[in-house]
Amino acid sequence: MTTQITSARPAAGPRKGSRRRPPASSATTVGRPGFAWALPAAVFFTLFAIVPLIMVAVLSFMSWDGLSSPEFVGTDNWSRLMDDPVMLNSIWLTLLLTVLGVVLQTPLSILLGVWAAGHQRNRAVLSVIYFIPLLLSATAVSVLWRALLDPNFGIPAEAAWLFGDGNLFGEQATAIGVLAFVSTWQFTPFHTLIYQGAARAVPQVLYQAAEIDGAGRYRQFFHITLPQLRNAMITSMILMIVGGLTTFETVLILTQGGPGTDTTISAYYMYDKAFKSFDYGTGSAIALVLVVAATVISLIVVRVSGYDKMRSSMEGVS
Amino acid sequence: MKIRARLPRLVAGGATLTLALTLSACGGGDGGASADDGKIHVLVYGDAANKVEKKLVDTFNKTSDVKVVLDTIPGADYQKKLQTIISTPQAPDVFFNWGGGSIKPFVKADLLMPLDDFIKKNPDLEDKFLPSVFNNAVVDGKPYGIPMRGTQPVLLFHNKKVLDKAGVTPPKTWDELLDAVGKLKDEGVTPIALGGGDIWPTQMWFQYLFDRVAGPGLFEKAVGGDKSAWESADSKKALSMIRELVDAGAFGKNYDSVKYTNGGSVQLVSSGKAGFELMGSWYYSQQLTDHEAFAEKDLGYTAFPTVEGGKGDPANVAGNTNNYYSVMKKTKHPEAVAEFLELMYSDDFVKAQLDIGNLPTTTNTDEFIETTGNAEYSRFQYDMVADAPSFQLSWDQAYPQKASSDMHKAIQQFFNGQLDTDGFIKAMQALPTE
Repeated sequence: MTTQITSARPAAGPRKGSRRRPPASSATTVGRPGFAWALPAAVFFTLFAIVPLIMVAVLSFMSWDGLSSPEFVGTDNWSRLMDDPVMLNSIWLTLLLTVLGVVLQTPLSILLGVWAAGHQRNRAVLSVIYFIPLLLSATAVSVLWRALLDPNFGIPAEAAWLFGDGNLFGEQATAIGVLAFVSTWQFTPFHTLIYQGAARAVPQVLYQAAEIDGAGRYRQFFHITLPQLRNAMITSMILMIVGGLTTFETVLILTQGGPGTDTTISAYYMYDKAFKSFDYGTGSAIALVLVVAATVISLIVVRVSGYDKMRSSMEGVS
Repeated sequence: MKIRARLPRLVAGGATLTLALTLSACGGGDGGASADDGKIHVLVYGDAANKVEKKLVDTFNKTSDVKVVLDTIPGADYQKKLQTIISTPQAPDVFFNWGGGSIKPFVKADLLMPLDDFIKKNPDLEDKFLPSVFNNAVVDGKPYGIPMRGTQPVLLFHNKKVLDKAGVTPPKTWDELLDAVGKLKDEGVTPIALGGGDIWPTQMWFQYLFDRVAGPGLFEKAVGGDKSAWESADSKKALSMIRELVDAGAFGKNYDSVKYTNGGSVQLVSSGKAGFELMGSWYYSQQLTDHEAFAEKDLGYTAFPTVEGGKGDPANVAGNTNNYYSVMKKTKHPEAVAEFLELMYSDDFVKAQLDIGNLPTTTNTDEFIETTGNAEYSRFQYDMVADAPSFQLSWDQAYPQKASSDMHKAIQQFFNGQLDTDGFIKAMQALPTE
């Protein structure tokens, strides 16, 4: 079985033309993957994604506190949500945090990733250390930073010239800053890893040619490395955007959406409504808004970036 | 010195992390109470007091054919998890709660068993408890809960050394408190430590001031559905006093970034960076755990100051009256449950609770107080609760659970100035009371 599948794979080789076509002989032994191959995945996806999604959609038209039986209330939840200033604000906050995440993490992880792509030993060791935040759960990271940023006994107390009275969690601007910083601290290593891999895949001949042409390190970076990282950049940004839209634990543990509702992003507001106020109807409506918004944004990104027809960026190299 | 003070915090932070990880791992395993396996599942709020509950369960299991299984849920998530499982087959037979508003929705959903029959068979189940405490779990005239831990009045704690240095005596009146705030500020310390990040510590200031200014009637009216209570003159006066205190710099500037639950405000007081902290009676054992030397030598406590011209009795108390065990209607072993509940007024129970610093509310508690390690503190609390004409249940526990999130937001926003008086009144009036 194993050998058959292996032989069905297109033979890797430098010969053009033979790249996409598997040898004709193996095509008869193993057919093309049929629908049955997708069945297990399809069943699980339906059971754990599609069905709950439909249930959430239905629940958004109901009033339910988790105890009594749900009742249909028409569009009540939706019309209340439309007039809810906290909801509108939460969408802006979600977008703001997502954008901040992309803007902060992308340059950092590109620089770190390209640097880490070098084969020097010290870089390998440091890369491993940089990788550690990613191994911690978001919850652990948040608890850690909440303690580190304690105004009286944490970092702010020692660096009053920078933090003033240290009321980081008591004002909107600083609270958002902390959230963005903590996500950056945690997820930059992951994106660094993506860029490291991509930077190592850049053919050395390009750099050798550039050197012959007299291009310095900066020109090499901007004219070879960056363009070659384009696909990695798109992948990493899509992951950042999806991650930003679904951020939850950091807010839950660092700010609880506060002060007041100043950091109540949509995902937290959904949790607040459903699991703190036991209003599952409104919670479901917010969840549905999130699903639709995330889908639309992802589609736009895929379209604009050309992710759907992604080509190799190594044009002219062979 | 500074480094020394910081190091334990780092260690504590690490320990908390490990603990959180372990706890979440446990949560998955022992939460499964199946429909009927010949056992009674008892669900309890997970914290340091669990050792008494474990001991009681062990005692009970020695003699009973129907065994009790103790399930715990880590503190902060208790109410949320309870509400998500209570109408499912995974629901426990008996569960921990705060009485009052915390069980009302369950009674309305017809999930709980009224304890009339138990009490008819064994009147001690009611008579052995202080009536003011027992009555807090009575809903629509029927008892639904048996007190199962200690009463937790809120007291004004202070650091004796800090107060001495500033020439301040523990304040008996509101004016003395304002005066003390000024003197402590001059000394360069935060007058009052507040874990505003948790919000419920902020709420305690509202509870006491509303009670002192207007008496318990105002809040009773409001929680009963008469929303005009929030815009009464007394309500506005209490709010203006809170404003005055905050604006006087009593809590410093960064209180919303401080938490009680991660030990931040606790250390503020023990390290002498703050003078006072308003907190439930569990504060004493918390300080004893975190900063033993300080708790034994320099931790002082008084009742909340009186307010001149206020309508509330100065002896009134706010806090958690007690925690209760309520019984699910679906339980298959009501007799065994009744037997288990009878342990809640046993001598062993009272002694064990007193030993860990809890103050049970049984009629026999009085006899044992003098035998405990910190008899003076227990005596102070016991007399305070026994003499109180009214015991104000925490606002977020008295209101239906679904109101608590919006209530907390309003409280935090008024306190830090994001909401003005009218905004706060409107927000409180918008809370559901049913």
